Amino acid sequence: MTKKISLGVAGQKKMYTAFLIAAVILFVLTSVYTNFNPMTLVKNGDAFWSFITEDFLPPALPKASRIPGVLSSVLVTLALALSATTIAAIFAFFIALFGSEKVSPFPKFAKVVRGFATFLRNIPALVWAFILFSSLGIGTGVGFAALFITSLAFMVRAFVETMEDVSQDCVESLLAVGASFPQRVSQAILPSCLNGFLSWFLYCIEVNIRASTIVGMVGGGGVGLTLFTYIKGFQYDVALSIILLIAAMVIVVDRITGRLRKEISK
Amino acid sequence: MERTIGNSAAAQNVSKKEAKISVGCNQKNRFIPIFMTGTVLLTMISLIYLNIDWLKLASRVPQIGEVFCELAHFDFSNIDQIFSSILETVSIAVLSLLYSLVLGIVFGMLAARNIFRIKWLSVLTQSVFTFLRAVPTPVWVLLMLVCLGMGPEAGVAGLCVHTTAFFTKSFAQSFESIPDETIEALEATGTGRISIFTNAVLPAAFSQIVAWTGMRLETNFSECAVLGMVGAGGVGFVISRNLQSYEYGTAGLAIVFVFVIAYCIERLFVALKKKIAQ
Repeated sequence: MTKKISLGVAGQKKMYTAFLIAAVILFVLTSVYTNFNPMTLVKNGDAFWSFITEDFLPPALPKASRIPGVLSSVLVTLALALSATTIAAIFAFFIALFGSEKVSPFPKFAKVVRGFATFLRNIPALVWAFILFSSLGIGTGVGFAALFITSLAFMVRAFVETMEDVSQDCVESLLAVGASFPQRVSQAILPSCLNGFLSWFLYCIEVNIRASTIVGMVGGGGVGLTLFTYIKGFQYDVALSIILLIAAMVIVVDRITGRLRKEISK
Repeated sequence: MERTIGNSAAAQNVSKKEAKISVGCNQKNRFIPIFMTGTVLLTMISLIYLNIDWLKLASRVPQIGEVFCELAHFDFSNIDQIFSSILETVSIAVLSLLYSLVLGIVFGMLAARNIFRIKWLSVLTQSVFTFLRAVPTPVWVLLMLVCLGMGPEAGVAGLCVHTTAFFTKSFAQSFESIPDETIEALEATGTGRISIFTNAVLPAAFSQIVAWTGMRLETNFSECAVLGMVGAGGVGFVISRNLQSYEYGTAGLAIVFVFVIAYCIERLFVALKKKIAQ
């Protein structure tokens, strides 16, 4: 008879089993709790299909008089994402310098900075938007502020991690020869971490393009608001063309950032 | 002899003026300054285009403090409702993650160029999912709400669309990073495509899959909190409704819960990633 030689590592198999069991338990628990049954999707398949074919297809253009408005709302979304991310990146750079124990002139302070960033980051952008809407009113400025807060916190964490990963030796040796804090930053951290910073910045732009669409939906202006209006008004065919427009916008931005990232890391 | 002359000349040179040794790195990427100026310019243009009334915004900043003050006055009377809504949110996030994990592995297998080696299949899969990924999640949830009615089903289904698209792309990337030699060696022994995938590719990509899943759980949870605001139930609904009806105490408590859970998820996966990396 043929014997099999086991090729797997014993410990690995145990880990797989543990993961699998955990996944199954979670699956059962959450399925029971949410009452979600994939069969309902299948059962509603007909309604789903007719909804797609009758209401959605073919995509219709909005009224000719509205087209410039829709296009300018796309521009608002793009401008919102870009400006909020850039300004947040500039702030995040300076805050991150104080958030890393090895770099900061006040190492005891670093934990506080990071804790604050963690607090800001772990509250979703839309919750921030709602908090700000209830205090500042509705408008593009508030959308800007909501995006600014979350991307600031995200980039502080990313920048701190980049700095801790890269430049320990450089910083330490400069510290040993008595370089001042600005010198350490400009001579050790910037040259070694700038690429990392910029690629996090690009990632953040990608995230924020989506986020600014979403924040727009609840009142931050831009193409999200336009889309929301059409969906609420049951004009699904027009909504579909706006969805396509959003998809095109996101894909184009992703392509551009991908190219830029390659150029930067050369 | 020559050396001493050279040295003394150098010494004279130094005594004349403080000579500096250039420490800077000469191999600079020319593109980076261009990129940074371009970004700053574009940002200025977009700020002008947005035409935000900064003064008005700044004059209202003190109100943020007031709102936070009111949010901090926790109102514990609705805690059971908050608790069940947060449990619902977590369940939606986890359930959609599990469904998408399975779907993502299957579609990632189709999308990776080195598994089946059928070019049109991977191009087709990737472009479909690029489109699905490009549309923000709340849009999918809104559409599912229209089809399935209010409730967690729409949330799960809507989240699944985006999460599956995300997993397909990232898993395909991980699968493609497996060295070709491994696959060729197995091909030479006559192993079938599926068993190459399950026995060689999947175990090798396992740690990356765990890392992606952890990252996605964070995003899913925060998006899930968002979904309630467009009407799919869960804690987002509680937050937005209470904020709109000025019941800041309840909303504040719900936000704190969201924060605590998001923080726990983050810590958990930092620990898990460290363990797997060992």
